[in-house]
Amino acid sequence: MKFEDAIAKSIKNFMQGKVPPATSDEAEGGLFYTPEYFDQLEEALLGTPAKDKDDVDG
Amino acid sequence: MGNVFPDPIVGANFTSNTKNYPWHRPADITDFDPAVDYFIEKMTDPEQQEQVFALLEIETDVVAVVHSLLLQAISKGKIAIDLAILIAGPVARYISIIADESDVKYDMGTSDDNRRRVTPTSLKVAFGILEDDAPAELVEEVMPEEPEMGLMGAQPEDAVTSASPDEQSSMLGMTDEEEEPTDGLA
Repeated sequence: MKFEDAIAKSIKNFMQGKVPPATSDEAEGGLFYTPEYFDQLEEALLGTPAKDKDDVDG
Repeated sequence: MGNVFPDPIVGANFTSNTKNYPWHRPADITDFDPAVDYFIEKMTDPEQQEQVFALLEIETDVVAVVHSLLLQAISKGKIAIDLAILIAGPVARYISIIADESDVKYDMGTSDDNRRRVTPTSLKVAFGILEDDAPAELVEEVMPEEPEMGLMGAQPEDAVTSASPDEQSSMLGMTDEEEEPTDGLA
């Protein structure tokens, strides 16, 4: 797998709400920048509820 | 005189300075959240934001933009490659949010619509393996052989057409009928 393929896969997984479990376990107190955080940020900035995860292309 | 010994000298790696490049040194940021923080902070810079939006407006997808941002940070020694892969998702999500906020249309680039589908037939064609029961459109049609005939060559028998006896006798003027002139000279 090339670097750009890994980046694309990582983005796709994050957009589907998946976070690498080992990464969140390692962080003390859990991760701050989670998919839920960005959903809330989107709602705060745009004033619209976060997009349904099924809407994400791919 | 050319280089007589083109290969590296054995053990040269032990004497060379491995700290010449930023990516040879330990990365500045090693944790997930500080790394995402770094990119969010970077994206608040109006100049950086303009560049990202300009790329999105010329139909560069978010994956390609994130890819270039991460490579830039790796080359500067800010983050390591494995951490870059981990934070790609949050960085892409943040870019999509600020693009929405600024009404910039974008494509995530994670769709695999353009992916070429692999089918048994396409694999057979790729490897040059075609079975006897291959689909009809892939089997070369055998056409009947055209008779080879040069300009002066003898025509095949079935190609020779001869005039009927009546036609031949009329051409030789051996008919009883008299021809009447049609040009009004009679």
